[in-house]
Amino acid sequence: MNLEDELRSALRRHEPSPDFTARVLARVAATPARTPARYWMRWATAVAAALVLAVGAVGYRQYEGERAKSQVLLAMRITASKLNKAQKKVQMISHRGNS
Amino acid sequence: MPERAPAKAMDLDFAGLVRQHQAMVFSIAWHVLRDRAVAEELAQDVFLSLHQHLAELESPEHVLFWLRRVTSNRALDVLRRRQRRPMVSLENAPEPVALSSSGDPMLGGALRRLVGALPEKARAIVVLRYQEDLDPAEIARILGIPVGTVKSQLQRALALLREKLSRSLGEIAL
Repeated sequence: MNLEDELRSALRRHEPSPDFTARVLARVAATPARTPARYWMRWATAVAAALVLAVGAVGYRQYEGERAKSQVLLAMRITASKLNKAQKKVQMISHRGNS
Repeated sequence: MPERAPAKAMDLDFAGLVRQHQAMVFSIAWHVLRDRAVAEELAQDVFLSLHQHLAELESPEHVLFWLRRVTSNRALDVLRRRQRRPMVSLENAPEPVALSSSGDPMLGGALRRLVGALPEKARAIVVLRYQEDLDPAEIARILGIPVGTVKSQLQRALALLREKLSRSLGEIAL
């Protein structure tokens, strides 16, 4: 007796139940198909979402940049005004000292 | 309203593919799972999936490879999910009874039971080797494992089966 031959015989193919094909086809008919249009629509949606995210990220970075710039300008303006006031006081003091 | 498969011709081709390959798909599942009802259910799922992927498959050989791969992997998935339930290992499997000669239908049944008690991967390898008559390289491609692993698992499985059967057959050489 040859084990491998016995295995080939024991594991030979068997047919499923007679209505197998009909049941598969019924399930296929009841299942929505993945058509190319749906496939491309899914891709287009993904690409559009990625674009919106990218544009949003760039816009947000620009907004943040502008905000930081205006804050720096405001800080510089405040510093300049404080410096002016200090300079005027120094001038007044030195003027009094001279007279 | 859900879209339906548009081409009637494709449906006809698909029905032909089901009829052509149903014995192969069902038998891989049945020999790996040892449960006819679960094997039929799995085979139906595989063909449903084939219908959804048909446009991506380029040739009849590709379809055959795809069916073998998907069926084997899904059957292994079912086995892994079953692992929580206690299983009888090959070492603890009952000895096949009344084995007398080659071609004995009881020997076939005993062999199928012993194959069904092999570890899951070894079981799939033995089924693909002896049901589908595939060589180790083809089995390795289907299961996504190295050829060396296929060869070693096959040798180990054959040794286990030989040992288990020889205990029952007594002095008859295998």
